[in-house]
Amino acid sequence: MTAPAQPTTTARHRPPAWKRLSGSEHFAGWAFVAPAVVLIAVFMLIPIVWSLLLSLQANDLLAPGHYIGLANYKALAKDSQFRSAIGHTIVYTVLFVPVSIVGALALAVALDRKIRGIRFYRLAVFIPLVTSTVATGILFLWLLDPTFGLVNYILHELGLPQQQFLQDPNQALYCIVAMTVWGWLGFDVIIYLAALQGIPEDLLEASQMDGASRWSTFRSVVLPLLGPATLFLVVWSTINALQLFDEIYVTTRGGPLGSTTVIVYYLYQQAFQFFNAGYGAAIAYVLFIAVLIVTLIQLWIGRRRVYYTS
Amino acid sequence: MKRLFLLIAASALIVAGCGGSSGGSSSAGASPHGHVNITLWHGYTDVEATAIKKLTQEFNATHPNITVTPQFYGNSDYALQKVLAAIAGGKPPDISYLYGSWAANIATNPTTVDLTKYVQSPSWDWNDFWQAARNVATVNGKIIGVPALIDNLALVYNKRLFQQAGISPPTANWTWSDFENAALKLTNPAKKQFGWAYVNDAGEDTVWRFWAMLWQAGGSILSPDGKQAAFDSPAGVKALTLLQTLAKHNSIYLDNGSDNYPGVFTSGHIGMLWTGPWDLSQINTGQQPYGVQILPGDLNHQTISGPDNWVVFNNGSARVNAAVEFLKWFTSPKIDLKWAMMTGDLPIRQSATKQAGYQAYVKKYPGIGVWVQNLNNATQSRPVTTTYPKISTVVGQAVQSVLLGKAEPQQALSNAAKQVDGILSAPS
Amino acid sequence: MTSTSAATAERLVTLDAPPARPRRRWPFSPWHLVLAPIALIMLIPLIWMLILSLETSSEAQSFPLVVLPSGLHFHNYVATWNSEPFGNFFLNSALYSLATVAGNLVFCSLAAYAFARLKFFGRDVLFILLLATLMVPYQVLLIPMFLIVKHLGMVDSVGGLILPNLCSAFGIFMLRQFFRTLPIELEEAARIDGTSRLGILFKIVLPLSLPALATLAIIQFMWSWNDFLWPLIIIDTASHAPLQLGLSTLQNAHRSHVNLVMAGTVMSQIPMLALFLIAQRWFIRSIAFTGIK
Repeated sequence: MTAPAQPTTTARHRPPAWKRLSGSEHFAGWAFVAPAVVLIAVFMLIPIVWSLLLSLQANDLLAPGHYIGLANYKALAKDSQFRSAIGHTIVYTVLFVPVSIVGALALAVALDRKIRGIRFYRLAVFIPLVTSTVATGILFLWLLDPTFGLVNYILHELGLPQQQFLQDPNQALYCIVAMTVWGWLGFDVIIYLAALQGIPEDLLEASQMDGASRWSTFRSVVLPLLGPATLFLVVWSTINALQLFDEIYVTTRGGPLGSTTVIVYYLYQQAFQFFNAGYGAAIAYVLFIAVLIVTLIQLWIGRRRVYYTS
Repeated sequence: MKRLFLLIAASALIVAGCGGSSGGSSSAGASPHGHVNITLWHGYTDVEATAIKKLTQEFNATHPNITVTPQFYGNSDYALQKVLAAIAGGKPPDISYLYGSWAANIATNPTTVDLTKYVQSPSWDWNDFWQAARNVATVNGKIIGVPALIDNLALVYNKRLFQQAGISPPTANWTWSDFENAALKLTNPAKKQFGWAYVNDAGEDTVWRFWAMLWQAGGSILSPDGKQAAFDSPAGVKALTLLQTLAKHNSIYLDNGSDNYPGVFTSGHIGMLWTGPWDLSQINTGQQPYGVQILPGDLNHQTISGPDNWVVFNNGSARVNAAVEFLKWFTSPKIDLKWAMMTGDLPIRQSATKQAGYQAYVKKYPGIGVWVQNLNNATQSRPVTTTYPKISTVVGQAVQSVLLGKAEPQQALSNAAKQVDGILSAPS
Repeated sequence: MTSTSAATAERLVTLDAPPARPRRRWPFSPWHLVLAPIALIMLIPLIWMLILSLETSSEAQSFPLVVLPSGLHFHNYVATWNSEPFGNFFLNSALYSLATVAGNLVFCSLAAYAFARLKFFGRDVLFILLLATLMVPYQVLLIPMFLIVKHLGMVDSVGGLILPNLCSAFGIFMLRQFFRTLPIELEEAARIDGTSRLGILFKIVLPLSLPALATLAIIQFMWSWNDFLWPLIIIDTASHAPLQLGLSTLQNAHRSHVNLVMAGTVMSQIPMLALFLIAQRWFIRSIAFTGIK
């Protein structure tokens, strides 16, 4: 590797970068993304368009469907159960995203050290992530069983009142939050661990040499450098949280009394229980637009506040 | 170099993956020599999976012109997605096991074969199938399925717990109040013991037990013309009140759909279950002495059955004929009893009880005879309509709200009835 | 920013010893006290599955859980292995997972680099478009994806499993974020030296991104290894089934033989855990940073 040269000037005082580029940079850009674009276009974008068409039909995927224009969407606007599902989804997301990211950051920092056995501690954190959703569901149904579960047993020993957990319409959604945070923590942790590896050791030591405490080093050096990873995790976690389904399917099935019916679960019911696939596709599209808007907002905020070392 | 290596490796893996299975797609079809290959999709596991393999092999050996290939399509709801995908792709299986609750919707599909003309031929002895099974196989007068499974709800009780509580075991004349008293007496919170178990997932499992009670009290689900809800009658309220009373006394172990209740029963914590033969393999393990009896009754001792169908899809007349021939063989009295013997499922033909092997069957699965006889009590069926899944969801919520103590029976049922009326009157 | 000088180098060395901290009371780092209980909580599913897998069938089905089995029935593992073509399941899963990992590493790196460093017409719109593919619930995409694979004639084959999953917007997004945290000076220097863009990617960016690449590999491997629904839709023949689909043939709706199912599940997790342990060696601080002013 050659010795680093003087940093080049940024493009601040010149016309927009892309206009100055030769055709070769455009070509290179597109050549690099081409394989990914082709694969994703064929296997994701085409199905997405197919679903859009489906949402404009009355179709149960059995009898031939027919086009009904925007009728599905109009019905959705009046659907009170859909509104409830939206509410549940928002509550879930607003709880899940911050809790899992803050928790993961703390855990990643704790795991970012060279003590003996650290590899196995990291492995332990990874385990809930690789455990299949079905197994996790069965496990939690047992842990939280009101009569025979381990958690109520512990509460009993501590003299605290017994809870109904997943059988209580007021508690079920929060139990799902706990279950999914526990299950997904490992994911955020390994992303943060990877990001922490990218923070130069000498930066940290320099800050400490300058007299900063551990905590303020963390706040003013480490945290900003974790910005890109944090943005990624916020966006990704939000996208996932808004599409929550699997964990609901293997535990509460949208209940009790509909308290854990989130948007995608409602979609599933419509498409595969009520044979109303066109309506389900319309739900998917409304969700898609919502997720897109939220993500764009997050990326826009991120653009102004996330610090990239380049 | 590294780049090259990576790209080659990636391509090699892909090619290996594709090439290694080029001959893999199920080669079903008719060959020029008149040999027909058909596929049969099922969700069987465990003993049933072994049984289907054995029996299809036996059929293939004795019918040289036809080869039936059984293929596993996943469990329960996932299966529907796979079947819908296959239908959308224009290549459905030749035969598929499908839940009875899907029958009305499946019937709307153009490739579903109308089996009426086949099964009416005398050699099929169509009327020998249990009534409940025939009901679910028939949609708007068209027969779209061959009975694949029949079951019903009966009362399973823990003999030891009854002895300990000093209650005499259930008889065929038990009334609701006998049942209620027993359940209350068997309840012991200190020992974490429940008198009864009920599935409380607000799905069909919650609803169909309630239907049995509704019928026992003389009620019906819908009006005779099928256009209005009729379950919010005094009979329905009476049934739901029984549930409410027992729930209030913590007599019911509420299973939230994860099917833990058989395990709770076998560990001695539940006195009585309303369940079917599918749980027998778990109950029959010797941990608890159990007995089987017909359901307690109010005006009658009706029970409810949940039959499933073998549906045939049209992939050309050669394959349809082969599929029909297989199903005729498979559901013939001798073979069906063989199946029952291997799996513990109920025989789908009424004449089974008169067959030579029947006694051995009853001996092998203690208590199964009660379920077979109980089929005589399964005189009513759920409506076989495309709107039934929605009706089920509405009623499930109503029953669940009462079980959780969030609503009163009359109010819950009236609300549900209004919603169901709306569903029934909506243009399909 | 500090300047690297001999004095600082000296100080760096002496910084290895913790400066003026109270003397350690325990022979091990106090972090163990924090990490061990957390690890224990996280280990609960594995412990639970292990216990269930070593019980008899009726013990395993008991509810509440029988925590101390009567004996350790290791033969459950043998029985499970023999009951289904597990060798095939493992092989199919391995093919599926390795191929998707390789595909994602290659294609996502290329695309992420372009999005991170290159400027080209329509870049940002294209990025959002790709990201948008993550925002539609998979339930509505399964059937059209099946139809496309069917048109390509790859139903019921491992190739049909692999192809739609060769590249995901997730990997592109994640790697883009990581690439943008790398100091651009190295790349600019190499550019001036005349290295091609592809060369920069492979010689400079990727070697500095090993933790991110290892992360993507682990995550993609895990997704493919644990995938159930897509294989269910695509695969008909048992011998082509990957692991989770194969395992589901052991499970029926009424949970019989839970002990065998858990034995199968434990066996299926082992390769992933092994991979994770192996991949740890790439979770190291990139030493190339030292020396940059």
